[in-house]
Amino acid sequence: MKLLNAALIFILVPTPTPAFDPLSVSVVVGGAAVAWHLLSSDSWLKCRFQECCNRNSTLNYTALKAQLDSRLFGQHLAKDVVLKAVLGFSNNPSPKKPLMLSLHGWAGTGKNFLSQILAEHVHPAGLRSKFVHLFLATLHFPHHDQVKLYKEQLQNWIRGNVSACPSSVFIFDEMDKMHPGVIDAIKPFLDYYEEVDGVSYRKAIFIFLSNAGGDLINKAALDFWTSGKRREDIQLKDLEPLLSLGVFNNKNSGLWHSSIIDRNLIDYFVPFLPLEHRHVKMCVRAEMAARGYAVDEDIVQAVADEMTYFPKEQKIYSDKGCKTVQAKLDIHEDLVMGDTRARG
Amino acid sequence: MKLRRGALRAALALLLLLLPPAGAVEPISLGLAIAGAAASALTGFISYPRLYCYFRECCLHRHDQRAAAALQETLDKRLFGQHLVSKVVVKAVRGFLNNTNAKKPLALSLHGWTGTGKNFVSKIVAESIYKKGLQSKYVHQFVATLHFPHAHSINLYKDQLQSWIRGNVSICPRSLFIFDEMDKMHAGLIDSIKPFLDYYELLDGVSYRQAIFIFLSNAGAEKITEVALDFWRNGRTREDIQLTDIQNALSVSVFNNKNSGFWHSTLIDKNLIDYFIPFLPLEYKHVKMCVRVEVESRGYAVDEDILTRIADEMTYFPREERIYSDKGCKTVDAKLDYYYDF
Repeated sequence: MKLLNAALIFILVPTPTPAFDPLSVSVVVGGAAVAWHLLSSDSWLKCRFQECCNRNSTLNYTALKAQLDSRLFGQHLAKDVVLKAVLGFSNNPSPKKPLMLSLHGWAGTGKNFLSQILAEHVHPAGLRSKFVHLFLATLHFPHHDQVKLYKEQLQNWIRGNVSACPSSVFIFDEMDKMHPGVIDAIKPFLDYYEEVDGVSYRKAIFIFLSNAGGDLINKAALDFWTSGKRREDIQLKDLEPLLSLGVFNNKNSGLWHSSIIDRNLIDYFVPFLPLEHRHVKMCVRAEMAARGYAVDEDIVQAVADEMTYFPKEQKIYSDKGCKTVQAKLDIHEDLVMGDTRARG
Repeated sequence: MKLRRGALRAALALLLLLLPPAGAVEPISLGLAIAGAAASALTGFISYPRLYCYFRECCLHRHDQRAAAALQETLDKRLFGQHLVSKVVVKAVRGFLNNTNAKKPLALSLHGWTGTGKNFVSKIVAESIYKKGLQSKYVHQFVATLHFPHAHSINLYKDQLQSWIRGNVSICPRSLFIFDEMDKMHAGLIDSIKPFLDYYELLDGVSYRQAIFIFLSNAGAEKITEVALDFWRNGRTREDIQLTDIQNALSVSVFNNKNSGFWHSTLIDKNLIDYFIPFLPLEYKHVKMCVRVEVESRGYAVDEDILTRIADEMTYFPREERIYSDKGCKTVDAKLDYYYDF
């Protein structure tokens, strides 16, 4: 009987085999495997070509610290606070509420820059990532009579994206230009809830950028300078209560009388100090290095001297921070080009 | 003999291996496959930018080396009396085009008296960067009194302007936007494009960092004339006037001038304008140069007598010194028609 079975198998198997061309069979099987991998979420194959949400990510503290040290100048407070905040948040396996940072400071001091570096560390593609969302008050919420529509849209957008990827990053720029009501719309997501409508927001990160409170910070920094203390001696506790109240009472701040401060939902107020002459020089040097020129101290000095400084008498802090440095470098560019040619 | 046998065996084995799969290859489908591959290679070759761009206009990415040189040459030859402008504009444009990692779009603000060459310079800039100059589909010109006339439709204009800029920059990142009559533009309208001029890497998936924005306006002209007059009265030459003498004075006066399109606008607040470029009022000798160039371009013989007569006919200010032409080089060609009657 066994022999019969064997004989049967030997007869039956070869008959359909001519229909199966080895090339097409291998192509079909291979294609099916690849397609299955690509369509299923978070498989290793898909994550090589498309961006995936890293659900159990821990930040590389040393890399972040190195980046901040080398690229962000003159903001010892901001660096400290942000490092601690983000590290603590990401290492915590079950945070109680989403992380909320509020960055305040004068123009050109590095607020957008810092949020960009942060976003890059959470999602490697940075601002280009699908999971990092940037909102500008003047661009996305321009008309004050459509606040209701903006509220609804914002809520849906946040809900949708956080359910797709719990560790999404939301950056709100120009908070001082935002209508006070719009931000109230997202208050429920920022609170100490475990879940809201089945979606957990506790791993998301919200960053608010604004110029509000900038003048208060400048005043405090100037006071420190005039009393002879070093810039690095300024502590967060010197500034935080000042800031929170100043921003709260400032009608132009997007957070005005908003319940976000009322309920103490903001985790960290991060102040950005105005930049001094030496920091502007550091910016110029970094820009020259980024363009591949040899760093010429004369040009660095010339460009830094061209910037305008305040207050009128002492002239310590740059009016525009590090902005327009690139443009001024272009003007001195032929001197630089001449130099590099002579040297190289 | 052994070698031959070995070779023969190898050949036989190869043949045996190839035979079964050879049965799977069918001549018609193989022919179709080869034809398809050849066709796609040909299409790829034709659509390769260099070849295609000879016939149609393309959004160019690497043409920058010659643009700055062409710009310098044209400005030297055709722009009279603006030593500051030619220096700054060429450096700004060259630096920007050569910078592969620009952090923000280039924003130039051209200020000056009427007829001194602001539109002319923007035309020259467009021509040196784009093959078709102002006619290029990547160059967009907005005139405040024409495109944004009604103050009550400001919200509509804001939305439209934002969509237009966003749409065009996503098609071609190296777009040029020229805004004329800025002093007549509603104060809030320019705020609507502020986001595009800022230091953002990406906005809704579109990068604006390679675009160029040029703003033309008469605001600040009085300030510039003041500085120029001061120099003249102190006996110093026009070419002694440096950019720094004018720039700071300009920035403040434009900011506080209610008629300037920039009044209290965040463009200056946030220092999003890269360069304020002043146009000095034109003197008698520059008007004569304008006339001469116009005569030459029309192919007439240059008659110094007629040149002098035409230049004398223009009106000059201030009343006592009568140095600077009221209308710059405007209306010169009309006067030419009057004198050259053929």
